[in-house]
Amino acid sequence: MTRPASYQGIALVCPVTLGYSKTSEHSASWFIGSVLRELIAGAGITKEDVDGLAVSSFSLAPDSVSFLTQHYNMTLRWLEQLPFGGASGILAMRRAARAVQSGDADIVACIGGDTAVKDSFRDLVSDFSSFSNSASYPYGSAGPNAAFALITRRYMEQYGATREDFGRLAVSQRYNARHFDGSLLGDKALTMEDYLAARSICSPLHLYDCVMPCAGGEGFLLMSIERAESLDLPYATILAADERHNAFPEDAMQLRGGWPLFCQHLYDSAGIAPQDIDLLQTYDDYPVISMLQMEGLGFCEMGAAPSFLREKTLTFDGGGLPHNTSGGQLSNGQAGAAAGYLGLVESIRQLTGTAIANQVPNAQHAMVSGYGMINYDRGLCSAAAILRGGKC
Amino acid sequence: MAIFQTGLPASATLSLQQCSECGQVNYPARELCGNCLADTLQWRPVKNTGTVQSITELQYSLEQTYTAHLPWSIASIQLDCGPVVLAHLVPGIAIDSPVMLKVIQDEQGNRMLLALGSDDAARHSADSWLAEVQFREIST
Repeated sequence: MTRPASYQGIALVCPVTLGYSKTSEHSASWFIGSVLRELIAGAGITKEDVDGLAVSSFSLAPDSVSFLTQHYNMTLRWLEQLPFGGASGILAMRRAARAVQSGDADIVACIGGDTAVKDSFRDLVSDFSSFSNSASYPYGSAGPNAAFALITRRYMEQYGATREDFGRLAVSQRYNARHFDGSLLGDKALTMEDYLAARSICSPLHLYDCVMPCAGGEGFLLMSIERAESLDLPYATILAADERHNAFPEDAMQLRGGWPLFCQHLYDSAGIAPQDIDLLQTYDDYPVISMLQMEGLGFCEMGAAPSFLREKTLTFDGGGLPHNTSGGQLSNGQAGAAAGYLGLVESIRQLTGTAIANQVPNAQHAMVSGYGMINYDRGLCSAAAILRGGKC
Repeated sequence: MAIFQTGLPASATLSLQQCSECGQVNYPARELCGNCLADTLQWRPVKNTGTVQSITELQYSLEQTYTAHLPWSIASIQLDCGPVVLAHLVPGIAIDSPVMLKVIQDEQGNRMLLALGSDDAARHSADSWLAEVQFREIST
């Protein structure tokens, strides 16, 4: 199998996180356009300098990214819409990087944005996909909570994970969120006692295992390193990135995503090992999925995440493996497809030293991971990237 | 009330889409064989036994059909004929247990899968469960 070519020469700049709220009267195009405005202002460029746009959104219909060019009055030469849920950010980055490397675009804005109104989550999950509509939603109609409850239960049964093991992720992420401005749930502390005492949602999932649907936007700009340096922008670079779709379809239950299929290649390309990673951002739509990413990305063996987490400090300032340093979705809410950009945007903040109260000291290498699209019984997209802080 | 288009035929025996070209049993319902992409899928009776992979007890639901009967158990089941299915589960069945699948319908006539144990006692508890939640067997 051929391997992805190098991402050399590419800079990721201007991480923007914006507008998280439980519900909003604004449309998805407001969130996406507002992120775009902040990206342009943050980079000190004009709207005309942006000639590529990659967008992910669940709530943009009836519009598509094509229509957004008219909303924002932009003439672009590269345009992409990425319907990959929690893997969208990394996939947008990979495609935009190739566009810039090959001269199809000079500056690409990569943005995830979604709105949320009363019942919008129900409308999304009750008509999510043909497989889900016919074979998943009819069975109890609990949305993704049910699919992840089944995965979590099997994982517990198979590997002896306990609720405390999942709680370590939720509690450490809440600690991180309490040091991150704009976090939706960061004003409320969460102890292990709170976590364990929460009400059951779909056994074995309880309240703090589940993400809260919300509105919000996330985005960054992708350009050449030369351009970033000429603009005097701090940047992060891509050492390696890859993706898989519908990996291991023969597994009866999803106890691994696609990450093991390219994990070693990521480290080989980056020239580093898991112990060199200074911060890890996983897609945490349920703690068990974060564990599958830790296992699949070489931090521990398959099934060993519970014991790994018992040993590791996960907070941004704990000196262990800082994980979901802005609180992840579990403490920020799941802003639709923007959630697929959250970890990448936070990684760029950390590597450019622009995180504020939650800055990881000496953050040089980040592993960021994505997971998305629960079509029926499992998430179909897995992606990951190793990033490094640049100069400037 | 919710309308669920599960695609299951109106038959008490379990029928799934089998490919006339390669023999693969497909689920969820689709138009082309997921193995060989042939346009030759036919609903055929299949072996209705399988093993419970995982279980969840739902404490909430987005549909009224279920909110009236919470908590509600569903299971993920590896069928002996190939596919993994989600099904309603008669309470009291454990992970890794063998089960049999049958097609049932709710008050709106939505046809769905039910997993139950295979001995006489299990059939009896399935009958009481069906009566309690007002689902019924398909009489054909």
